[in-house]
Amino acid sequence: MRFLEYQGKELFRSAGIPVPPGRVATTPEESEKTARELGGPVVIKAQVPIGGRGKAGGISLAETAGEAAQAAARLLGSILRGYPVKEVLVEKRVEMDQELYLGVTIDAKSGKRVFMACQQGGIEIEEIVSRYPHQLHTIELYPSQKLYEHQARTLFRRAGYRGKVLTRLADVAVKLFNLSVRYDLKTCEINPLGLTAEDNVIAADAKVEMDDNALYRHPQFRDLVVEELDPLEREARGIGVTYVRLDGEVGVVSSGAGLGMTTMDLLADVGLRPANFLETGGGITKDLMANAIRLVAKHEQVNSIIINLYGGVNPMIEAAHGIREAKRSLPENMPIVAKVLGNQQEEAWRLLDEAGVVMVKSPRTEDAVEVLKELLGGRRHEHLA
Amino acid sequence: MSILLDADTRAVVQGMTGRIGRVQTKWMLEYGTNIVAGVTPGRGGEEVLGVPVYDDVVEAVEKHGANASVIFAPAPYAKAAVFEALEAGIKLVVAVPEHVPVADAMEMREKAKTFGAWLLGPTTPGVISPGIGKLGIMPANMFAPGNVGVISRSGTLSYEVAGQLKEAGFGQSTVVGIGGDPVIGVDLQDILEAFEADPDTQAVVIVGEIGGAIEEEAAPFIRQMRKPVVAYIAGRSAPPGRRMGHAGAIVVRGIGTVESKTEALLEAGAIMANWVSEIPALVRRAI
Repeated sequence: MRFLEYQGKELFRSAGIPVPPGRVATTPEESEKTARELGGPVVIKAQVPIGGRGKAGGISLAETAGEAAQAAARLLGSILRGYPVKEVLVEKRVEMDQELYLGVTIDAKSGKRVFMACQQGGIEIEEIVSRYPHQLHTIELYPSQKLYEHQARTLFRRAGYRGKVLTRLADVAVKLFNLSVRYDLKTCEINPLGLTAEDNVIAADAKVEMDDNALYRHPQFRDLVVEELDPLEREARGIGVTYVRLDGEVGVVSSGAGLGMTTMDLLADVGLRPANFLETGGGITKDLMANAIRLVAKHEQVNSIIINLYGGVNPMIEAAHGIREAKRSLPENMPIVAKVLGNQQEEAWRLLDEAGVVMVKSPRTEDAVEVLKELLGGRRHEHLA
Repeated sequence: MSILLDADTRAVVQGMTGRIGRVQTKWMLEYGTNIVAGVTPGRGGEEVLGVPVYDDVVEAVEKHGANASVIFAPAPYAKAAVFEALEAGIKLVVAVPEHVPVADAMEMREKAKTFGAWLLGPTTPGVISPGIGKLGIMPANMFAPGNVGVISRSGTLSYEVAGQLKEAGFGQSTVVGIGGDPVIGVDLQDILEAFEADPDTQAVVIVGEIGGAIEEEAAPFIRQMRKPVVAYIAGRSAPPGRRMGHAGAIVVRGIGTVESKTEALLEAGAIMANWVSEIPALVRRAI
């Protein structure tokens, strides 16, 4: 779950990390009012969960409240890389002498949290890594360790900072690291962190992403879930499955991530395009399976469905009942192929057979893809005739 | 022979009295797995399927010499269950739960390393040594005893691979699900080393998927291995930047693509299968 900038900044503010004064607005009028209250030049920033908003045209500068209203009118209702702009952040413009990058992320391989800092801020971390690898300073810590102020101080002293700035940077570093631990953040970046002429530090942007799996520990953010999801993806969350919308015609229902990806790959190989990725995980019930299939069929381009399941932790008898139920509500002529193996496979086969579901009983997903292709070919034929 | 799970394995099931724990325990027992005890806090003294239940793992270790554990606990309790097993001296811990917070997975990994124990998962189907036993949720009918070692990040895909190997006449020495999460308890290399040392494993199949860099990081060791390694990577048609079910399966700006993994593995001397269905023939040629 990615926080919008203003939500991330609220988190920063709560932790004592300085952020520019500002407020979120949903109309040009509100934006104008806020700009007037702030006084002086402001920046108007589209609140969408993407990086590189500047390049995408999502950030405008305004000298007056009137200009702020115009900028907000331009941004609000526009679409930035697929995301509709519903809110803008109106902020006092901060003059920065220098822009740094500060971030905390997780290194999957070592299982450590990594604090990163670079004197070159305002560009994305990937670019920093490739362009300024020698200016990127890191501290890697196991979960049993914490980041101490003195470690951050040494890091910034080595990077060439002194005096008040040095202690302020170290302070922000520790606060950022602690936020990342306390709120289960997968990514937590201040980019850029501005240094002002008065030696103050200020977080000009916030990129904060929380671990979805840890949301139960932070119920206060449940309602704040960013509108980053497609409507079908949101519905999938409610059902309890993982759904990724794609641009093809074959609905995919699988009981695991690897199998789902392999099914997509095999479809693509024979020229069939997957309309989605869907995996149930280990929670299959009759209702979940029926809902998952109906969900997949809702994609406007879907013309067929492939169901690929293994009974490991999942009960295949329940799955078969779910498939039968879903089939009743789908168009009669929509080709559906089911490959159901593993625990309880014989009983599942019997149930599916009874319901007239086309089945493949081999452990080769390509066999199911082949049958589906034939069914689709046959149907196209009928249409021609 | 086999790796991780062998004739000396004495397993405890943490969460045996739950709905899933009970069913899976039944299937593990039917497969011949040596399950010596179950653990559910507050249920000590009961019996499930003829297996005694204890309140804590230590008691199962004291009374039965338990040396392995498989965990069926809801994700929020997985970390505590893993810690309990490790502190009781268990050296093989199978963490089946999905949707475990990554911060918890990091702590599990660190502790398992500290205790010198194998930790499979989170999000693992477990481990099966066909003919000997299984700890986890694998459907037994897809597997057969034999000499191919299989390592997989995905449960379902490992069943598909094992099923096709079985059809082609190849059984497996051990099939290890290392887990589909970004942070997992073992490194791919740890398992490869075990297979390399196992006299009954003649070839190793790696079933990988997009995301992360574990396949790439194991490449230097693969280059040193005497045994042939056949590898398959799922997810070539997945769009970049989208997470494909497993939290670990996401291509971020060109890192973790099928191409980068294929290149690293080929360079290391692995035999690449474009499809799962090519794996049996490649194994046949390699052995």
